[in-house]
Amino acid sequence: MTGAVGKGLVEVKNLGVVYGRGDAEVEAVQAVSLSVQPGEFVSLIGPSGCGKSSLLSIVAGFMKPTSGVVTLNGVPIQKPGSDRGVVFQQYSLLPWLTVRKNVEFGLRMSGQARAPREDAARTLLRMAGLSAFENHFPDQLSGGMKQRIGIVRALATSPEVLLMDEPFGALDTQTRTVMQEILTDIWQKFRISVLFITHDIEESVFLSDRVYVMTARPGRIKAEIKVPLARPRSADMTRSQQFTDLVNDLKGLIRSESLAAMGSELSCH
Amino acid sequence: MTVPSPSSLDMGPLTSAEAQLMAAPSPAPAALPRARQKRLRQLSRHWRRHGVTLLLAASSICLLFAFWYLGTKYQLEAYIRFKNVPTPAAVLQQALEVTSSSKFLVNVLSSVRRILLGFAIATLLGVGLGLMIGKYQRVREFCMPVIEVLRPIPAIAWVPMSIMLWPSNEASIVFITFVGAVFPILLNTVHGVHTLDRVLLNAGRSLGANELQLFWFIILPGVLPSVFTGLAVGMGVAWVSLIAAEMISGQFGVGYLTWEAYSLVNYPAIVLGMLTIGVLGLVCSGAIHMVGQLVMPWRAFVNGERR
Repeated sequence: MTGAVGKGLVEVKNLGVVYGRGDAEVEAVQAVSLSVQPGEFVSLIGPSGCGKSSLLSIVAGFMKPTSGVVTLNGVPIQKPGSDRGVVFQQYSLLPWLTVRKNVEFGLRMSGQARAPREDAARTLLRMAGLSAFENHFPDQLSGGMKQRIGIVRALATSPEVLLMDEPFGALDTQTRTVMQEILTDIWQKFRISVLFITHDIEESVFLSDRVYVMTARPGRIKAEIKVPLARPRSADMTRSQQFTDLVNDLKGLIRSESLAAMGSELSCH
Repeated sequence: MTVPSPSSLDMGPLTSAEAQLMAAPSPAPAALPRARQKRLRQLSRHWRRHGVTLLLAASSICLLFAFWYLGTKYQLEAYIRFKNVPTPAAVLQQALEVTSSSKFLVNVLSSVRRILLGFAIATLLGVGLGLMIGKYQRVREFCMPVIEVLRPIPAIAWVPMSIMLWPSNEASIVFITFVGAVFPILLNTVHGVHTLDRVLLNAGRSLGANELQLFWFIILPGVLPSVFTGLAVGMGVAWVSLIAAEMISGQFGVGYLTWEAYSLVNYPAIVLGMLTIGVLGLVCSGAIHMVGQLVMPWRAFVNGERR
């Protein structure tokens, strides 16, 4: 385990989420327990509507669980904070700030002086390969560039853990592959824990140390799979037998859940 | 790409030789350095793009004046009657006459002062209250009933009440201008807060912004586009309200001037008053548009392209 050098232990215990009241009550998440060890990259996959985004929102502090508890380094999470960096599914850069000022935003909120925070932002932008665009507005950039900035912006405040909600979902396949490699690179430099939500099985295997598979609604943990692929990982690895086997195992697990999810939707109508 | 290339930045101002070359139908391109050729190409593209726009704008205005000129010249009578309508020449004559005394200018300045005052108060109150209503449900529940009752009352209908309410004529006219402007500004601001992308708020929170910082760094810039829509609409309604108020209760002002001209059977002065109102309104809208572009430079781009 790489825990000794990493930081950020996330523990989710017996988590339940119920939306609505009375007849409209929907149980989105049921008795979910999981953990992200310090420095570990963990993915959460499952059919759409299984409550994986709700779970991430709770860890981020955007919403409160109906039952159960979520802790970061043993301390219960009450509200959002810069100890947890969040990368959103939609582009979430502030359109009125230039690229560099977006990256600086967290440091500015914590009252850091201009010069050091500008330096920090420039360093991060160099890492993301976007130095040339520091004075551009987000709307001048492509989707892949925006999401790269989203990642380094979340890292600027030196969070304990990075929470990523299908961050590459809106990108085309080519860009996606490149982004996955960039992310593993960055992650290896920072060595913080990551909780990564996706419905892309290959993506979860390529990126993660461990993958949790969730069931259809109400979302429960169906399986937990370790990914023993060596690091650093490269795109070539996705053609190895070991990789393909892992992906196929997960596909089997997910297929039955997707069918169950569709079945329940069909029976609703 | 929108960034000018270094070569075009290095170029000095246009020399007279270059200007001549541009005017000539076919300059000898081989004789020009590459950077200059590029500059010429940019200018010609600029003219192709904006030339048509300018041409259309000019021709629509010319057409309006031609209609006016011909209508008055031939005393057109086809349901609408041009018999009493002054000719463009008469109006121009009137315009030259009024500039010889300060009366006209005093009236214009009086209207402009009322607009600026009423509009400024409407902006402060509309944006301030709009932000509060948009952000806090309790404030919304408290304020919206009153707003919904007052909003359908046109500013002109406030004239009698306003005269009773305010100690001076001047204050009552400013108040009517304010009434006209405040509702579009307020409601657009509220709308702006409501349609602000929640992801941006969550992003701000997770980057460590407290409530005050969220308000200042995310909500405020986030609603600016809606605020400026409100300002543009509000400015239009403010002029309508101001002119109506000046016609009914005024001393001084362009509206007063126009109505007085009608009472005194000075027909050219009516048209001059109307044109003055038109130009002042245009200048005010243009000013808002320009301030908007200055305050929101990021709005120039959409999906990687300059708008």
